[in-house]
Amino acid sequence: MNAWDYFLYFALSALLLWLAGAFAAWRRRRAAAFWLTALGLGVFLTYILWLWASLERPPLRTMGETRLWYSLFLPLAGLLVYVRWRYKWILSFSTLMATVFIAVNLLRPEIHTRALMPALQSPWFAPHVIVYMFAYALLGAAMLMALWLLAFRRGPIADNELEGADNLVYSGQAFLTFGMLFGALWAKEAWGHYWSWDPKETWAAVTWLSYLTYIHLRLSRPRLVPPALWLLLLSFVLLQICWWGINYLPSAQGASVHTYG
Amino acid sequence: MLDGFLLVGGLVAVGLLLQWAVGPVAWDAFAFPVNALVLTAFVATIVTVHALRRRVRLFHFLATGGAAVPALVAAVALTIVMGLMRQDAHGTGMDHMTAFWPFVLVYAYVALLLGLVVLRRLADRLAGRSHHSRWQDVAFLLNHVGLFLTMTTATLGNADIQRYQMITTLGQTEWRALDDQRRVRELPLAIRLERFIMEAYADGSPRRFASEIQILTREGRAYAATVDVNHPVKVAGWKIYQHGYDTQRGAESEISILQLVRDPWLPAVYTGIGMMLAGAACLFLFGARRKEKNAV
Repeated sequence: MNAWDYFLYFALSALLLWLAGAFAAWRRRRAAAFWLTALGLGVFLTYILWLWASLERPPLRTMGETRLWYSLFLPLAGLLVYVRWRYKWILSFSTLMATVFIAVNLLRPEIHTRALMPALQSPWFAPHVIVYMFAYALLGAAMLMALWLLAFRRGPIADNELEGADNLVYSGQAFLTFGMLFGALWAKEAWGHYWSWDPKETWAAVTWLSYLTYIHLRLSRPRLVPPALWLLLLSFVLLQICWWGINYLPSAQGASVHTYG
Repeated sequence: MLDGFLLVGGLVAVGLLLQWAVGPVAWDAFAFPVNALVLTAFVATIVTVHALRRRVRLFHFLATGGAAVPALVAAVALTIVMGLMRQDAHGTGMDHMTAFWPFVLVYAYVALLLGLVVLRRLADRLAGRSHHSRWQDVAFLLNHVGLFLTMTTATLGNADIQRYQMITTLGQTEWRALDDQRRVRELPLAIRLERFIMEAYADGSPRRFASEIQILTREGRAYAATVDVNHPVKVAGWKIYQHGYDTQRGAESEISILQLVRDPWLPAVYTGIGMMLAGAACLFLFGARRKEKNAV
């Protein structure tokens, strides 16, 4: 039985549950919003674990496989934000973004074989990638908040309205740090050095420093709200370059050890 | 904040001038004991600047957000350029960013600011002037000391790293290896390749390649070990890695390429990384706690 053939059914069930949860949030039915979204997460996680078992390796190697985790963590980050700050729009946004990633996976699966090259056979592999995907989801939610405040919020924005975004960035930055340093410790075991300014590492440093700039800007100049929001959007663009944009950068072609086809 | 941008802009200008005058930073010249002296002088400078912070306004400014944000912006900008330009170990400009003076000076400046805020925070805590909870101070110190230690020791220790490639042949004992410039060196260890192991998936792609080796030290000790990808072997301060094989012959390969690495500064770098990991855990657990009302 090929687990991949069943992705459509699991993905559609999860999406319907997340949509229902997002709708419940708009209607201010908090318990329903929570349980529907959580159930959708359960369905999607079940599928990932099943795929993991059937591939006999963690499904973390290809871009398609990392998109699976992202589709899981976005609604999870959305749910955490919803529970903590009760923004009724966040679940709609996180569901929409998860839909995009699921659609991409249906059109371009990129989940091929059981083969896992020796360099990826390491206990660091799963934590390194999963932690990064979770960071990306948290920072994606922070980006959505910034976008919402810049596009829809009329009148001046009080600095405490950024508290949600700040919290997401702190958590996101913590997980970026874990991902980067797990990667460094793994690189030492696999390649003999913990940091080689490989293009992927360079862009990871760019992303990490950019969110660090946001944190320090918020601490030292809390009233500079629009520049902080724009910095949050820019940081997310840099993060996208690090994640997949790098595959299209001429400077990184053939120079990165982070390409596993 | 404008002062901060002027300062970092001036630093980049000085860097460009140095790049023009003396060429790329000669990192090889930093081998021990030069790197230890440089680190000592750097720490002494930080302590002096901290001690004079009430007399020199600039020194006081360096430990504020007004200095930190522009420094980080400059570091981000230069690192983006690095990511956009193909890097070359023999480059003479921004195509060899890690030896490009403005880049090196900006990162050194970030390290200077890190050192200063650490001392400022410690001084405030010891004088009972801290606006922060004890846990916030612990998190702050873990993050800032951890990054300072990692950055400085990784950079300055780089010149002391010994990295060699050894091409071992089945049944033969080898003690010569190639350095980064492909020069032949004699090592204090000899390695004898007993067996090369290669396993493949059904589609022919490699599942595992490894070497069964016998390691002989100068003191006459012998160790048997299996070196796998991701599982280096540690002997007498060296780490031995499975690096490659004769890919033309695959499982029939009669050679195995091993990499031998010695990095005496690694414990310091790992201490810094450990502190940063603990600091990141604090960041996640305590989050963006608001400053207290009376904080400046």
